Amino acid sequence: MKWLLKYSAMERASVLVGTNEPALSVGKAEREAQVNRRLGFWLFLASELLIFCGLIGGFLVVKGYAATWPEHELGSILLASVNTFALLASSLTVVLGIDAIRMRNQRDRLALFLGISAALGALFLGGQAIEYKHFIVDLGHGFGDPFGTAFFVLTGLHGLHVLVGVVWAAMLIARARQGAYTSENYTTVEMFGLYWHFVDLVWILIFTIVYLI
Amino acid sequence: MQDVKPVAPAQHVPAHRYTNPLIVFAVLTIATVIEVALAIVPGIPHQSVVPVLLALSFVKASLVALYYMHLRYEKPIYGLIFVTPAAFAVFLIVVLLT
Repeated sequence: MKWLLKYSAMERASVLVGTNEPALSVGKAEREAQVNRRLGFWLFLASELLIFCGLIGGFLVVKGYAATWPEHELGSILLASVNTFALLASSLTVVLGIDAIRMRNQRDRLALFLGISAALGALFLGGQAIEYKHFIVDLGHGFGDPFGTAFFVLTGLHGLHVLVGVVWAAMLIARARQGAYTSENYTTVEMFGLYWHFVDLVWILIFTIVYLI
Repeated sequence: MQDVKPVAPAQHVPAHRYTNPLIVFAVLTIATVIEVALAIVPGIPHQSVVPVLLALSFVKASLVALYYMHLRYEKPIYGLIFVTPAAFAVFLIVVLLT
């Protein structure tokens, strides 16, 4: 079982010159706190993944047993594609932001890249709002029909996660400008990165299953 | 969330460099374009495209988990924690749909 708990490359990366022991760069209690926070956050993400997998499964089951199921129009697929590109690009900028603080201690670039990520997240939410308006007002879908229930619950919960991510990014930007993060102290930014990439990952699955299949 | 303060780090080395994120982004974008093309181009039988779309989606999700979420460089237990519920969910979906 030792291989499951061996030091990761990320933990080894934070150490001092001449040693690979994390305990020498950060106090033992602090290092344990960091490890516990990361473990807790991965458990949180696992529970979130279970929720979304359950909803995706529910979507497929409802679709499989529904008497009628609307085909997605070309415009709807293209709008969702633009949204997908926005989320993929926002994940890239989050990675670049974390790299800026982790490798070069550049707080301004961290704030800049997080700002771009938040803007792309807001763009995604705007696209989703346009799509919802089309489905509800023009096509008359809602919670009264199987498609509306399955579609709005799944994509709505994901949209809520994007909204939380945008607000979280805004808070991180404010703290970064106050100098809260350094190349040795960026765990919170790293947790945000995990969350944002998770939201991106879930959308990749939703995009294929809801819009393309 | 409170940030953990390091205890007097004497000398810091540049952190571990991961796979170039631009390469991962390019692969993700190209895979998405292929997915959309397969779905909207007329003349391609839908039933034959579905496995390809699912495979591309799985590859994209794996790339995000491995390279953006750094699961490739993390302790194996984090990957196990993350993948286990997904495996259960896939099993549940397969059972419900068959």
